[in-house]
Amino acid sequence: MNSLVLTLTEALRYRGGIGQWSWILHRVSGLGVVLFLTLHVIDTSWAVFYPGLYEEAIAAYQSPLFTLGEFALVACVVYHAYNGIRIVIFDFQPRWWKHQQRAAFAVLGLTAVTLVPVFALMLIEVIDHYGHSPFVLGLDRVLLAQAPFAVGIVVAIIGAVLLSGLVGLVTGGGEAGGRAGSKFERFWWSFMRVSGVLILPLVFGHLVLMHVVQGVFALTEAGSTIIGTRGLLNVSGTATEFVLARWNTSLAGPTAGVGLWKLYDIGLLLLVTVHGFNGLRYVLTDYTTDKPMLRRAATYLTLIAGVVLLVVGGAALLAGIEPTALDMACHAQEELGKTLSEFCQARIGG
Amino acid sequence: MVDVTLRIRRYNPEDTQNRKPYWQEFSLKDCHPSDRVLDMLHRVKWEQDGTLALRRSCAHGVCGSDAMRINGRNMLACKALIRDLFSPVPDSVKIQVEPILGLPVLKDLIVDMEPFFAHYREVMPYFINDDPLPANGRERFQTQEDRERFDDTTKCILCACCTTACPSFWANGQYVGPAAIVQAHRFIFDSRDKATAERLAILAEPNGVWRCRTIFNCTPACPREIEVTRAIGEVKLAIQRGTTEGIIKVTEIKEVVSNS
Ligand code: HEM
Ligand code: HEM
Ligand code: SF4
Ligand code: SF4
Ligand code: FES
Repeated sequence: MNSLVLTLTEALRYRGGIGQWSWILHRVSGLGVVLFLTLHVIDTSWAVFYPGLYEEAIAAYQSPLFTLGEFALVACVVYHAYNGIRIVIFDFQPRWWKHQQRAAFAVLGLTAVTLVPVFALMLIEVIDHYGHSPFVLGLDRVLLAQAPFAVGIVVAIIGAVLLSGLVGLVTGGGEAGGRAGSKFERFWWSFMRVSGVLILPLVFGHLVLMHVVQGVFALTEAGSTIIGTRGLLNVSGTATEFVLARWNTSLAGPTAGVGLWKLYDIGLLLLVTVHGFNGLRYVLTDYTTDKPMLRRAATYLTLIAGVVLLVVGGAALLAGIEPTALDMACHAQEELGKTLSEFCQARIGG
Repeated sequence: MVDVTLRIRRYNPEDTQNRKPYWQEFSLKDCHPSDRVLDMLHRVKWEQDGTLALRRSCAHGVCGSDAMRINGRNMLACKALIRDLFSPVPDSVKIQVEPILGLPVLKDLIVDMEPFFAHYREVMPYFINDDPLPANGRERFQTQEDRERFDDTTKCILCACCTTACPSFWANGQYVGPAAIVQAHRFIFDSRDKATAERLAILAEPNGVWRCRTIFNCTPACPREIEVTRAIGEVKLAIQRGTTEGIIKVTEIKEVVSNS
C-alpha cells in the first residue's frame, strides 16, 4: 500500500517524459476494461441462464449512467489497444527507441482521430434514442442491479486473502508459484503481447458491431435487423433474442453448422479474460512486493476470477439459448415496465 | 548574473523537532549561468548551513555519487548547469533539489544505496571465463564489431539516476532495475564472457526484466546518455530467443553514433 501511495504521488511529481503518462493511462484503461469485462461476461451469461436478468442488465446498459460509462469504456479500449501496439513494437525493435516519444504522441493522436467520429456516431444514437421518449430504467434499479457484483468482488477478495493466509500458515509463506520463476513470467510476457495483437481486431470488431453500426439501444428494438445475422429481425424486441439470433448464425446459413459469432465470442472471451486478468495480476503484484501474503492473494484472486469468468462465459456459449427463453425475457420486460412488442404481448397474453 | 533560490528537501533522523522531511529555501546571489547545481549546494553548505548533507566525490560526472532529483528529474548535480535547466536564463530562478526516489533517505540528499548495489551484484557484474588463456598467454581477442555491441553499456557509472526514475522500481523495490540490467547487458553481449546463460536466467526471474513496462523514464535520466531502454529490450529478446545472436546489428549502432 505504501508503495502504491508513493508511486501515485511521486509519479505525479516526477517530471518524466510522456512515457510515464502513457504507462499510467495504459494501466488505468486496462483496469477499467477488466472491471467492465467482469460485469459483462456474467451479464451475457444470463441471456442463457436467466433471460429475465439479462433484459434488466441490458436496460441498465441503456440507462444514462452506463451511457456515460460506455464513452469512457470505448476511449479506454481504443487508447489501450493503440498504446499496447506501441509497447509491442518497441519491445521487439528496441533499436527504434529514439522514436518512442513521437510514437507516444502518435498514439494519443490516433486515439483522438478514432474517437471523434466514433463518439459522434454514438452521440447521434443517444440523441436519437432520447428523441423517442424511451423507457429509462431508474437509477436506483441500475445501482441495485450492480450490488451483487460489488458483493461478489468483495467476497472474492476476502476469499483470496483468507486462502493466502491459510496457505501461508501451511507452507510458511513465500511467493505463489514458488520458483517456477523464469519460464512462468517469460511465457506471460509473450502472451500479453501476442494476445494483445490478436485481441485488437476482435474487440474493435465487437465494439463496431455493438456501438457504431447499431448501438446498445438497438439491442431491444422490436422489428430491427440483428447485426451479423444476414437480415434476421428481432421480432420480440428482447436482448435475449438478439443474442440468440447471433449465436445461431453460422457460416453455412442462418441456422445450421457451428455458430459464427459463437466462435468469435469464444476467441474474444478466452483472449481478453486471460490477458486482462494477467494484467490485473501484474498491477496487484507490483504494489504488494513487501507483503508476501497479499501478493499471493493477488495471484489467487486473479487466477480464480479469471477461471470463474471463463467457465461462466464458456458455459453460456456452449449451452446456447433455448427458444423458451424469449417467454422469460418478455415477462421480465413487462415487470420492468417497458412497452411490449406485439410478439411479447401475444406470448404473455397466450 | 543570476539570483538563485535553492529549495532543498531536508531530512534529519536525529532532529527531534522535525522528524518528517521538510522543504527549506536558501537564497544565493550572483550565480553564473554556467554554475552547476553542485556549486550552489557547496555554497549553501560552506556559507550558510554546514549541516546540509550530500554525497559527491569527483565533481566531474565520473564517480556517479551525486545523483539527485533536480527540478523534478534525476540528474547528477555536478553535470546540471543553470543554463541547462533554463533557457534563456532569467535574472532569478528557483531550483528544487531532493533525494532520488525509491531508496531509503538517510539524511537530506543522501540515500541508502545498498538495495541498489544488491541488485547490481545479483547480475554477476564481472567477467567470467574459465577457459584456458590463449596460447601466447596474453589477452583474449575480440573483433571490433564484437566490441562495438556492448560499447554503450560499458559507460555506466552506477549513479542510479535510471533506476530511481523508473516507476516500476518505485512500485516494486525488488525489481532489479535498469542499472543492473545495463550492467548485465555489458557482459551478456560480450563475446569473450561465458556466463551469458546464467545471467539471462537471473534476469528472467519474476523481478527481472519482465517488470520493465517500457516506460522510458530511465533513458533520458542517464547522465552518460546510455540507451538504457534499448539495452533492456535487447536483454528481453535474448531471453526470449535463448541466444544473443542476431539481436544487435553493429552496422545500426554505427549509424546511430554517426547521426547523433
Ligand atoms: C458497451 C459495449 C458493449 C456491448 C453493448 C456489448 C454487447 C455484447 C453482446 C450483445 C454480447 C452477446 C453475444 C453477441 O451478441 O455476440 C457480448 C458478448 C461478449 N462481449 Fe461484449 N459488448 C460490449 C463491449 C465489450 C468489450 C469492451 C469487451 C472486451 C473487453 C467485450 C467482450 C465480450 C465477450 C468476451 C463476450 C462473450 C461473452 C460470453 O462468452 O458469454 N464486450 N457483448
Ligand atoms: C485491444 C488490444 C490490446 C492490446 C494491443 C493490449 C496490449 C497490452 C500490452 C502490450 C500490455 C503490456 C503488458 C506488459 O507491460 O507486460 C497490456 C497490459 C494490460 N492489458 Fe492489454 N491489450 C489489449 C486489450 C486489453 C483488454 C481488452 C483488457 C481488459 C480486459 C486489457 C487489460 C490489460 C491490463 C489490466 C494490463 C496490465 C497493465 C499494466 O501492467 O500496467 N488489455 N496490454
Ligand atoms: S523503460 Fe523499463 S526500466 Fe526504464 S523506466 Fe521504464 S519500466 Fe523502468
Ligand atoms: S545506466 Fe546511466 S543512469 Fe543508470 S546507473 Fe548507469 S550511468 Fe547511471
Ligand atoms: S560528483 Fe562524481 S559524478 Fe557528480
